[in-house]
Amino acid sequence: MSFRRLAVVASLLPAALSAADKVTYNEHIRPILSANCFACHGVDASHRKAKLRLDTFEGATAEREGVRAVVPGDPQKSELWHRIVSPHEDEVMPPPDSHKAPLKPEQRDLVRRWIEQGAVYQKHWAFEAIARPEPPSPAGGASDHPIDRFVGQKLAAAKLQLSPEASRETLVRRLTLDLTGLPPTVAEVDAFLQDRAPGAYDRLVDRLLASPRYGEHFGRHWLDAVRYADTHGLHLDNVRHIWPYRDWVVRAFNRNLAYDQFTIEQLAGDLLPEPDTEQLIASGYNRNHLTTAEGGAIEAEAEMRNTADRVDTTSAVWMGLTANCASCHDHKFDPLTQREYYAMGAIFKGLADRVWDGNVRLPGPIVTIAEDPKLQARIHQVTREVTPLERALTARVEALIAGGKTVAKAAKTPVAYEVIFAEDSDLVAVSDFRAPPAAGEWRTGADVPVAGGKRALRLEGRAERKFNFTAEDVRLTVPTEVRAFVHFQPDAVRPPRAVSVEFVSKEKTRRMIWGDRTAFGPEVAATALYGGPLPAAGAYARLELSACDGGVAEGKAYTGVRVAQSDGAGWWDRAGAAIKSPSEADDPLLSSAAWSRPLRTAARDNFELPIRHDIKFLLGLSGNQQNEEEKARLERYHRDYINVRFRPDVEPELHAVRRLMSEQTYHELTYPSTLIARERDEPLPAHVLVRGQYDKPGEKVEPATPSFLPPAARSGARLSRLDFARWLVDPQHPLTARVTVNRYWQQLLGAGLVRTPGDFGVQGEMPTHPELLDWLASEFVRTGWDVKRLVRLVVTSRTYRQDSVTPPALLERDPENRLLARGPRLRLDAEVLRDQALALSGLLNPAIGGPPVRPYQPANIWEPVAFGGSNTKTYVQDKGAALYRRSVYTFWKRTAPAPAMATFDAPARETFCVGRARSNTPLQALALMNDVQQFEAARALAERLLLRTSSDGERLKLAFRTVTARAPDGVELKLLADTLSTHRAHYAGHTEAASQVIANGESKPSATLPVAEFAAWTMVANLLLNLDETIVRN
Amino acid sequence: MNPSHEFLNHFTRRQFFSGAGLALGGLAFNLLAPRLRAAKGPDALNARVHPPLAGFPHFAPKAKRIIYLHMNGGPSQLDTFDYKPKLQEYFDVELPDSIRQGQRITTMTSGQSRFPVAPSIFPFKQYGQSGAWVSDLLPWTAKVVDELAIVRSVHTNAINHDPACTFLMTGSEIPGKASIGSWISYGLGSDNNDLPAFVVLTPRFSPKVAAQALFTRMWSSGFLPTTHNGVALRAGADPVLFLENPNGVDPMTRRTMLDALNQFNQRAHARHGDPETLTRIAQYEMAFRMQTSVPDLTDFSGESAATLDMYGPDVKTPGSFAASCLLARRLAERNVRVVQINHRGWDQHGTLPEHLKIQCLDTDRGCYALIADLKQRGLLDDTLVVWAGEFGRTVYSQGTLTKTNYGRDHHPRCFTVWLAGGGVKGGVVYGETDDFSYNIVRDPVSLHDLNATLLHCLGIDHLRFTHRAQGLDQRLTGVEPAKVVKAILA
Repeated sequence: MSFRRLAVVASLLPAALSAADKVTYNEHIRPILSANCFACHGVDASHRKAKLRLDTFEGATAEREGVRAVVPGDPQKSELWHRIVSPHEDEVMPPPDSHKAPLKPEQRDLVRRWIEQGAVYQKHWAFEAIARPEPPSPAGGASDHPIDRFVGQKLAAAKLQLSPEASRETLVRRLTLDLTGLPPTVAEVDAFLQDRAPGAYDRLVDRLLASPRYGEHFGRHWLDAVRYADTHGLHLDNVRHIWPYRDWVVRAFNRNLAYDQFTIEQLAGDLLPEPDTEQLIASGYNRNHLTTAEGGAIEAEAEMRNTADRVDTTSAVWMGLTANCASCHDHKFDPLTQREYYAMGAIFKGLADRVWDGNVRLPGPIVTIAEDPKLQARIHQVTREVTPLERALTARVEALIAGGKTVAKAAKTPVAYEVIFAEDSDLVAVSDFRAPPAAGEWRTGADVPVAGGKRALRLEGRAERKFNFTAEDVRLTVPTEVRAFVHFQPDAVRPPRAVSVEFVSKEKTRRMIWGDRTAFGPEVAATALYGGPLPAAGAYARLELSACDGGVAEGKAYTGVRVAQSDGAGWWDRAGAAIKSPSEADDPLLSSAAWSRPLRTAARDNFELPIRHDIKFLLGLSGNQQNEEEKARLERYHRDYINVRFRPDVEPELHAVRRLMSEQTYHELTYPSTLIARERDEPLPAHVLVRGQYDKPGEKVEPATPSFLPPAARSGARLSRLDFARWLVDPQHPLTARVTVNRYWQQLLGAGLVRTPGDFGVQGEMPTHPELLDWLASEFVRTGWDVKRLVRLVVTSRTYRQDSVTPPALLERDPENRLLARGPRLRLDAEVLRDQALALSGLLNPAIGGPPVRPYQPANIWEPVAFGGSNTKTYVQDKGAALYRRSVYTFWKRTAPAPAMATFDAPARETFCVGRARSNTPLQALALMNDVQQFEAARALAERLLLRTSSDGERLKLAFRTVTARAPDGVELKLLADTLSTHRAHYAGHTEAASQVIANGESKPSATLPVAEFAAWTMVANLLLNLDETIVRN
Repeated sequence: MNPSHEFLNHFTRRQFFSGAGLALGGLAFNLLAPRLRAAKGPDALNARVHPPLAGFPHFAPKAKRIIYLHMNGGPSQLDTFDYKPKLQEYFDVELPDSIRQGQRITTMTSGQSRFPVAPSIFPFKQYGQSGAWVSDLLPWTAKVVDELAIVRSVHTNAINHDPACTFLMTGSEIPGKASIGSWISYGLGSDNNDLPAFVVLTPRFSPKVAAQALFTRMWSSGFLPTTHNGVALRAGADPVLFLENPNGVDPMTRRTMLDALNQFNQRAHARHGDPETLTRIAQYEMAFRMQTSVPDLTDFSGESAATLDMYGPDVKTPGSFAASCLLARRLAERNVRVVQINHRGWDQHGTLPEHLKIQCLDTDRGCYALIADLKQRGLLDDTLVVWAGEFGRTVYSQGTLTKTNYGRDHHPRCFTVWLAGGGVKGGVVYGETDDFSYNIVRDPVSLHDLNATLLHCLGIDHLRFTHRAQGLDQRLTGVEPAKVVKAILA
């Protein structure tokens, strides 16, 4: 949204036409009518004044009360003409109360001539089918590259020529930065300079397109467009876990996924037949919008926002449409009706994600991702298999209820009961999957003695063996009294030396020992309680320990019981606790409210909480955000899995489902998961919202595409997201290919052929080279939406390879370079500036992908703005190698983006951004001079130079070549040498300051270099990293 | 705005740099000025780095700058300025349906079975010649009540914090639009070459109160050029990001580096002819000047004891609201166009009497001192001061109502804002709400009206202040009709 629109240059205005030239509607007249008339006399019928519409020939020429606005061929009989030239305030158009200036004389003149020439209307150029114009013959200094032939023709008409080709040093730096976002190394520059064989440039292009850095760089541009970030964006602005989508984007560019498939997988990867994990990850596109869970938020309003964000982003990014203009009324300028806007919204109304984010990092639906295909298959299998087991458990509980088992509502009355932590456990708790018990420890069979259920735990061996029986998805505290128990019987032949029982708790606990009290060592013996001699073999004994004795006082938290055994062998089974509670209603094992309360904030904050993501999400929602079904689901979870009243009766079913559910939770906590799209069973209804108000639903609408565009093929009764995605990349679609090639053109040449990349509508700018745009778009489609091929096509043109030197005359003639008579000179993007410094200094950590990192950030960026309860309130900087990752991996907090990014025009990623500004501010100067990341890079660069034995002159040359790719001339070399000697003299006398200079940053400076020399070179490197030539690409 | 204005702006700036040399001052001035002065004459040195748009201001402004005191969270109008004596009779009485009229409420209280009226427990008194009612929570503000135009009939569209703050500051509930400070910076430019045009302060607040979040979008340039982003000054050693030289680099060493950099960059300009290079040279020089001017700005040691005393003891604590107010005055003295102070913690859903008192204690004296201090220096005449939350609070209690305790939910339908200084008539109370401070009964003022009025004081016709983005001529005051509130203008 923050693309800076550059104005039309006077010398290129259509008014410069000579009187004989043909005036065309698209090029000359529509911009005038659109800016001045269509707000009241355009598409939007409800706001139309005097029932006159000027955007169609029929409307403009219709007779109304004996008057026609336009009489083709005759301005004098045309009311339009009289109105735009009228000197009278009550007559003139646009009227004074519209706050629009009267038309300029040259604009009036154009309108007059257009009427004279027959008032021919044209459909808006961007909505016409894409033509495939033949490239004109070479002119204007152009080669026979098709791009140059189009550009050359316009240049020749303006009596201009392409600038000479840039130097090889410039080209290799330009191309490397443009295709990979990183500078070339000196060796790479040399290799290119030395490759004098024909095709050297093409080989360079091929090498760079094959680099994995290409995907990171091109992916980063895409992430701007789809507003990817690592937080939800509203209110708490908590962490959102969707970085696997970011990595998918990088991979998609690197493997050159065709743009049509790239589109389909993002919009509807989940709807493809048997989608693979990659396609599911891609569907995370649908989850990149801002979400909230603000306490008082109103669901219908939040739902409207989410849908609008999806429609607006998709419309702008793929179609260059300013769809949002049609949210309250028909679009004023483009033929998009309000109804059609909401019909597009209806396409997204089938998405299964809830309107709230619950402030959790993984609001479903999600997919958990493993690199190992076998493990991935297992993850999918568990996900598939767990649902029927959950249903079976619920059915069993409900059968019990139907059979008369009732549980009174938890009351504020004292209660005493027993809970079993483990009965037949083999892999039930999440922690079991983290550290699985040794194979064969849980046994079942005729020779296995049990204290209950079918299995028992067999521990044996000389070393001390420990085992935890825990309750993980409930926060237990000691109410009035807790007596932990576990059943044990020693092996008749090889009894253990001793066994012990203790509480699992963060408190300072004490064990109780049976048998030899010194068996666990003197330290344990010193504090342990003694339970007595080892129980006799042949039968289970119940070992008990009270919380009070065990060191967990009333009100303190514990998670279960830990047993230990020293030497010998023994059987363990049926662990649990006998509990006395002062109030049933306050006991989490009996009351669902008491269970969920302490987990609520934990679900938001504690990423490691061993509860499956969907339950965590329900816990994250405030009570009034849960719908009835969600309330019931949470109640059910407590009833079926937690409530001790039911558990003894459903042990087999519970065990079966717990086994898979814990494995699933373990997967979620161990492997990356990401937000994806899924279709709900019944899509939400979609309505036209009267005046765009969420609480004023009007007519019901079904999913549909706008009628002014080619029709969409429908695979079922209802237009699906997949149908919509396929429609976007239908070769007949007039917008997608144009908008896309324009964005790549903009990325590579600094400005698009259409300079409003997010608005290809009537209010957008006309293309500077309409035929070139169409040719590129048709070529893009013809070659299978092949992005790398498109990029190669552009960068191999002479137009791209021009020198960016700007002679004053050319600057005056064409300050915005609309004719492309020179190459653009562009200040590097925020990420490139940071990555370049890291690369030049050798600090760059080239790892690809993974969770976002938190590099250096000044103090007090998050803290002064964040909500107190947000989990992105406090910035905890990473250490070591994570500080030097590429910027695409920097953690992106939407409500307080990283200053090193925001200072250089990176968007907040709150809304789609299809083109960044390039500002030039003092804050940028401060950042490049003083940001520790930049200064540390200077230090590291100095170190690299100094560790090579060489003369000052050689080092300075190398330094200059490293940052600019070219050799310095004599004056530059002398300037560097003088500066070096000034710094040298200073730091020779200020060694304390010199030591400070080289200590900036967290990487360790070389200890072998003389500090004053090191500091002086650091300042020279800091200078070099700040050169205009370094922070700009020529 | 006509896009050609922007072009002119852009072009004037470029032309200025290419044709007339560089704007320099401060230490850089001392080091480089003689050479430039000899070459270009002195005029170049006084030119503005950041001029207004062509045609701005639209008419003679009353105010040259604005200080926006944003009370984040939604202060209770019922307990501060909107005096409702009759409510005492309604204690714990159900809010009449005739008042509530089925209006939407947030989901935090929509589930409540009762909506009992909670009269303010704070006494109100009349102050000044105007006799405006102010509660006992704001004794200092009450002293300057004759400078204030108190508007009791402001209303907003949004009912929750995030969209409401976004609406208050950008004129839209949806993120992505430009903030009011950025609009003003964009239109009027800067009169100070050494400091940013738009400065944001985020003072500390009591840890006892629940604070809502702020969002950088509240001072973001949105679709406007990013140069107009608000610059957040932080409390402490590095008030502007990256202002301080790295450890071991003193100003002369930085100067040495910059001298060389300038020569390189001038060569780059000679080689490539890119006007941006000249702008960059100037920006590095301004950065260097800021390294001096910003510490000077935040150094209170020259302030008299009498002045410091006005702001109260808190002024000695960097980052306090009082210190931020004094900083705002110093910024106003330096002609910084927009200062925005965002004070958090005004979201009293419960325990309102105790927590609101904390909030008022934190801010009341600073507000008073800012007005009084500006006035004693003659700055109040051309400095506009605004005090506003993002919405008001409900008359009914959220949670349990007792004689000494209650809470209030968000209320967008009416709240109180005050204005003072340049262009504003002091001692005015404007607008009226019903006996329950629930609905506006006279002279409603929408946030768009408020913004139109603020722009008017600054000499800007809000209708003519547009910027083309995403196919629309965007306007701070949106597309619905908005009016300047003439009755509160001087």
